Amino acid sequence: MNILIAIGGKEYSKPTLDLGMKIANAFEATTTIAYVGKKISQFSEKDVSVVHQNLDNRELYRPGVRTLEWAYDFLESKKYIKKDNSIAFNDHLLIDEENSRMRVLLKGSHSNKIDLILRTGEIIDQLRSEVETSNHDITIIGGGGGNKGMHHKLVQFIDSSVMVVKNYSVNKKYRIVLPVNNSMGSNKAIEIAEKFAKSKKLPIEIITVLENKSSDEKLRTILRKTEQKFTNAGIKNTATILEGDPVQAVVKYAKDDSLVMLGVSPKNLFLKYFFGSKPISIAQQCNCPVLIAK
Amino acid sequence: MLSFLNLLNKFGAMNESYKIISSSILYWFSQKKWFVFSVILAIFLLNLSTPIGLTVAGYHSLIILLMVFTLVTFEPIPFPAIALLTLVLQVLLGVAPPDVVAESFMNDAVLFVMGSLMFAIAIVHQGLDIRLAKIIIGIFGRSKRLFLGGLMTISAILSSFLGEHTIIAIMLPIGLSVIKNIDTKQTDGRNAVLLTLFSVAYGTIIGSIGTPSGGARNVIMINYLQEFSSINIDYWEWMKHAYPILIVQLVVAYFVLQFAFPTTLKNIQIKGYKKKIAKSNTRDNINHLFSSIIILLIVISWFLFNEELGLGIIALCGALIFMICGMVSWEVINKNTNWGVILLFAATISLGFQINETGASSWLVTKFNVLLALMPESSFDISWSFMAILTGLTANFFTSSATISLLGPMAIELQPSDVSFALSAAIASGFSFLTVISSPTAMILYSTGLVSTKTFFKVGLLMFTSSIAILYLMSKFYWVTL
Repeated sequence: MNILIAIGGKEYSKPTLDLGMKIANAFEATTTIAYVGKKISQFSEKDVSVVHQNLDNRELYRPGVRTLEWAYDFLESKKYIKKDNSIAFNDHLLIDEENSRMRVLLKGSHSNKIDLILRTGEIIDQLRSEVETSNHDITIIGGGGGNKGMHHKLVQFIDSSVMVVKNYSVNKKYRIVLPVNNSMGSNKAIEIAEKFAKSKKLPIEIITVLENKSSDEKLRTILRKTEQKFTNAGIKNTATILEGDPVQAVVKYAKDDSLVMLGVSPKNLFLKYFFGSKPISIAQQCNCPVLIAK
Repeated sequence: MLSFLNLLNKFGAMNESYKIISSSILYWFSQKKWFVFSVILAIFLLNLSTPIGLTVAGYHSLIILLMVFTLVTFEPIPFPAIALLTLVLQVLLGVAPPDVVAESFMNDAVLFVMGSLMFAIAIVHQGLDIRLAKIIIGIFGRSKRLFLGGLMTISAILSSFLGEHTIIAIMLPIGLSVIKNIDTKQTDGRNAVLLTLFSVAYGTIIGSIGTPSGGARNVIMINYLQEFSSINIDYWEWMKHAYPILIVQLVVAYFVLQFAFPTTLKNIQIKGYKKKIAKSNTRDNINHLFSSIIILLIVISWFLFNEELGLGIIALCGALIFMICGMVSWEVINKNTNWGVILLFAATISLGFQINETGASSWLVTKFNVLLALMPESSFDISWSFMAILTGLTANFFTSSATISLLGPMAIELQPSDVSFALSAAIASGFSFLTVISSPTAMILYSTGLVSTKTFFKVGLLMFTSSIAILYLMSKFYWVTL
C-alpha cells in the first residue's frame, strides 16, 4: 500500500503527520511525505528557479526543505525512523526528478520506506500528479482553515482515498465511526477500518442511516454482515441504526474523538462537481478526521 | 429534470470508463474555466455591433486585449499558448494581415527582453554575491541599520542598470545569510527578517525605474514613443527624469520599513557572515574580474550607443560575450531563460501596435476625454492621476511590462506631445508593491515562505501611495525644469 501525506507549515501539520504515520504504520505502507510550495506565476517561475539554485549553492535551504527537515525530525522523535547518528538531515541530496518535483534523498536506508518530496505549484494539480505517478492508495491532508473547496476538489479529482485531518489530538483516545451503505466505496471503507482498528486496537461503531426508502432492508443486512465480520475478526464493535438526513445524522453522531471512515458517493461526477455529495458534506461539517474511501 | 438527473446518475454509477472520461473533462474544465470564460466573452462581444466611431479591426483588437488580460491574470493556459493565440486571433479576426503581424512581432524591445533575461542568467551564474557582500560589508558594515540601508541602496543602483530579476537573484542570498537561524516566532526576530528581506526587495523594485535597462517596460515605452510620437528618449534623458524619483523613493522606503517592522536588529548576524565570506577565496577568481568588466562595458554601451545599436542588441552582446568566453554554457542559459515570457511580450507588443494602428487607442482616449470634460477640476491633473493609478494598479495584477505593452499606446495618446504622460505610465507600472504576482522580485520574496501576501500588501499600500505622490510632484515641478 502507498500513502501520501501532504504537509504545509510546521505549526499546522503535526496532527496530519502524526495520524498519517499511524495509518501508514498500520498498513505497513510505503509513505511519501510531500510539501507543496507556493504556486509561482509563469512570469517569474524561471527567476524563482534561478534564485533557488543560488540558495542551494550557498547552503541556504530553499523554501519547503525546512518543513521537510522538521518532518524528518518529527519522524525520528516518534521513532518512525531509527535514530542514526551517521545520518542527519543535513546529509540530504535534493534530486530534481521532473518538472516541479524534487525528492530529498536521505543517505542510508530510510528512503526505502519513507520519501520526502518537495513540489511546487497548484496544490490539487501537484497532489493529483503525485498520486497518478506513484499510485498512492490514500492521500492524507490537513483540514484546518477555509479549505472546504479544496477538499471537495481533492475528493473529486484525486484517484485515491482521501483523509481530511481536522481537530486531531495526539492525546485523545479515538474510536472509528463507520457509516455503511451499499456502495463500492463503503466496502473499501470497511476494509480500511478493519485493518486500522486491528493494528491500533480501536473500537468501531458501525452506523447506517435509513431514509424510509426501499433500500432500507438492504442497509440493515449490510450493517449486520459488517458487525459479524468485525466480531469474527476480534474487533470490539457496536452497530447503530440512525434515521433521517444521512449528512445531519452522521455529523450529529460523530464526536471530537471520532475517526469517521466512509465510502465515496456513487453519484454521477458532474452532479457531484456542481451539487456536492453526502461524504463531502460530512467531511466538511464534521469536527474530526474523516476518511473518504475510493 | 429530476428523472434526467437520476438517469445520468444511474448511467454514471454503472459505467467505469464513463467515470474516467467525465472526471478528465471535469478536471480540464476546473483548470481551464477562465479560458472557457474568455472564449465565451469574446464570442459574445464579437456578436455585438461595433461601437460608433471605432473600426471593426479596432473593435476586434480590443476584444483580443480583453482576452489577453483575462488569460494572463488567471493563467489557465501556458504563456506561449497565450502568445500564439494573440497572433493567430489578430489575423483570424482581421485586425492585421499576416505579414504586418509578423513584422510587429519582433523589434528592439523584444530583443531587449530576450537579451536581458539571458544576460541576467550569465551574470547570476558567476556567483558575484560573495564579492558584493564583501563590498557592502566593507562600506556599510559599521552598524546593522547602515548595513540594511546599504543593502537597499546597492540593490537599487545595480537593479537600475541590470534589471530587478538579475539583482534579486544576487542580493537575496546575502539577505538570507544574515538572517539565517533567526527565531521568527518572536516579534523582534520576525521583524528583523522582514526588514532585511524587504530592504533587498524594495531596493531592487525601486531601482528598476532608474534607467531604460532597469526593466523591459521602460524599453517598450521608449519604442512606442519613437513609433507613435517620433519622440526620442535616450538613456541619459531617461535617467535625468527617473533617477531623482528613485532617490526620494529610497529614502521614503527606508523610513516606511523602519516604521512597519520595528526591531532591535540584535539577531542579525553581520559579524558571523563577515567571517564566513572572508574564508572564501574570491580575490583570485578571474571570472569575477572578467564579469565585472563585461557588465561595465555593457552599461557604458547602453549609455553611449543606445541610439545607434538599440538597447536590445547591446543586452544580447552581453550574453554573447559571456558565452564566447566560456563563462556560461548555452545549456544553462537555455534551461533558465523564460522563453514563454519572451514570446508573450512579443505578442502583446504586437497587439499594442495594432491597437494603435487600428485607431482603437484613439477611440478609447476620445471616450475618456468626453468624460473628462464633465469634470470641473483641471483635466490635466485628473487624466494624469487616472493614467498613473490605472497603470500602477494594473501592473500589480498583470505585471508591469505586459501592462505597458498593452496600455502604453493609450498613455501616449492621452498627451501625444507631452512625454511626461508616457514616462509617468512606465514609471508607475514599476510600483509593484501591492501584490506578489506583480514582479519577479515580489514573487521571489513570496516564494521564500517568509513573507505573506497580507504583509506584502499592507506595507506595499503605504509605499504605493507615497510613490504615486512622489511621481506626481516630480512630474509637476521637476520635469518641467528639464
